[in-house]
Amino acid sequence: MNDQSFFDLAMKVIARQSTDAERADLESLVAAQPELKAEWERLQADTRLAKEVLPLTAAAESTAGEFPAYARGRLQTKVRQTLGRPETERKPAAANWWKWVLALATPVALVALLLVPMFSRPGTPVIQVAMLDSAGAIRGADTNETLLLQQQWPETTMQNFEKPGDLDAWEQNWPAGNKPAVKVIYDRAAGEIRVLGRWEGKPLQKTFLVERDLASALRQAEAFIREQGKH
Amino acid sequence: MNVPDLKALQRGDGDAWEEAWRWLWPAAFGVAQMKLQPFLPGDVEDVAIEALEELVDKVRAVKAVEELKPLVASIAHHRAVSRLREHFAAKRGAGKTASLDALQNDPERPWEPASDELALASLEQMELAALLREAQAELKPEQRAILGDFFLHGLSYEQIAAKHGVAVGTVGVYLKRGLDAMRRLGARHPKLLKELEAFLR
Repeated sequence: MNDQSFFDLAMKVIARQSTDAERADLESLVAAQPELKAEWERLQADTRLAKEVLPLTAAAESTAGEFPAYARGRLQTKVRQTLGRPETERKPAAANWWKWVLALATPVALVALLLVPMFSRPGTPVIQVAMLDSAGAIRGADTNETLLLQQQWPETTMQNFEKPGDLDAWEQNWPAGNKPAVKVIYDRAAGEIRVLGRWEGKPLQKTFLVERDLASALRQAEAFIREQGKH
Repeated sequence: MNVPDLKALQRGDGDAWEEAWRWLWPAAFGVAQMKLQPFLPGDVEDVAIEALEELVDKVRAVKAVEELKPLVASIAHHRAVSRLREHFAAKRGAGKTASLDALQNDPERPWEPASDELALASLEQMELAALLREAQAELKPEQRAILGDFFLHGLSYEQIAAKHGVAVGTVGVYLKRGLDAMRRLGARHPKLLKELEAFLR
């Protein structure tokens, strides 16, 4: 019996497609020849591996199915916490200005950015506020949330973003000089408010989860910012 | 769907990750579904999301974007196996995990998996990801199709020959070459080989 014939017989037995006579043939061959016994055992191991690897390989190559939007916020938070913010690419201002013009002209960019000093005394910070709505705005709820943010910081005009990359660029863009500055970011999908900034040369960062309602979380964020001024 | 930019992912670029998640989701979901659907169908999506989340931790160790799908598949595989182990341990009420091997073909536990998934679970995630890449490289699509028809779908040589329009003798040749490739894969991963040898004893 040649190699291929032995292999075919072994496959039939492994797949339980053999007759009793074929199984008996295999048993007698294996019993009589130690090298065939070893090969028979190896074929069983190879088969076991094939049965594990083949479905996993097929599943890993699958192209069907759509990423669920609800997972986006959680995953974006993970990216920020693990990898941090991407470094802003330093490009000449002339190359970037038109992007801002386009962004402002776009219907989804709801409001322009304003820099407004929040407190009257010297050394108090510039507050910038933005909302990231990467899942797409749900009208109504979105409007209410915008209103809450504006009520919390009435002298600041809020910036709205749909793309995390646009928000990243905004986060890297700080006012010139050493004046204290704070950015407040409401990430709708992640359900969190991030406060980051610089105050008297020290970095400032804290995240507030929107657990019960947005208004409470915003009050906590504002209290945190005020607290920095007392130190 | 575009292949994501690995460098942008490693920098933490949110837009690149959005693209990557859409690209990787079918692999993560497909593997989780394959392992969990019969026993824990409600956990499939959770495990796929967890796999994407864990990938963020590992992305800086990745050298080429082609490694991402096998890696997320291996993460999903291991997470799914862990869930199954926890689930069956809890079901037995002992509050401890147990080898799925011990559960194999136990007539008293018809609701537990007749486990064919144990050798791969012994590999570390990165090693399993490497093995998947090697399997993809070693096995041509037609080889994989014929191996799948025989080992997974239970078709006979004759049925496979008719399905693929080849001679019956050719089916055996394809199977032999396919299993030779499996043997080479096993040989490159000593831990896996040890596991397979233990299975024979």
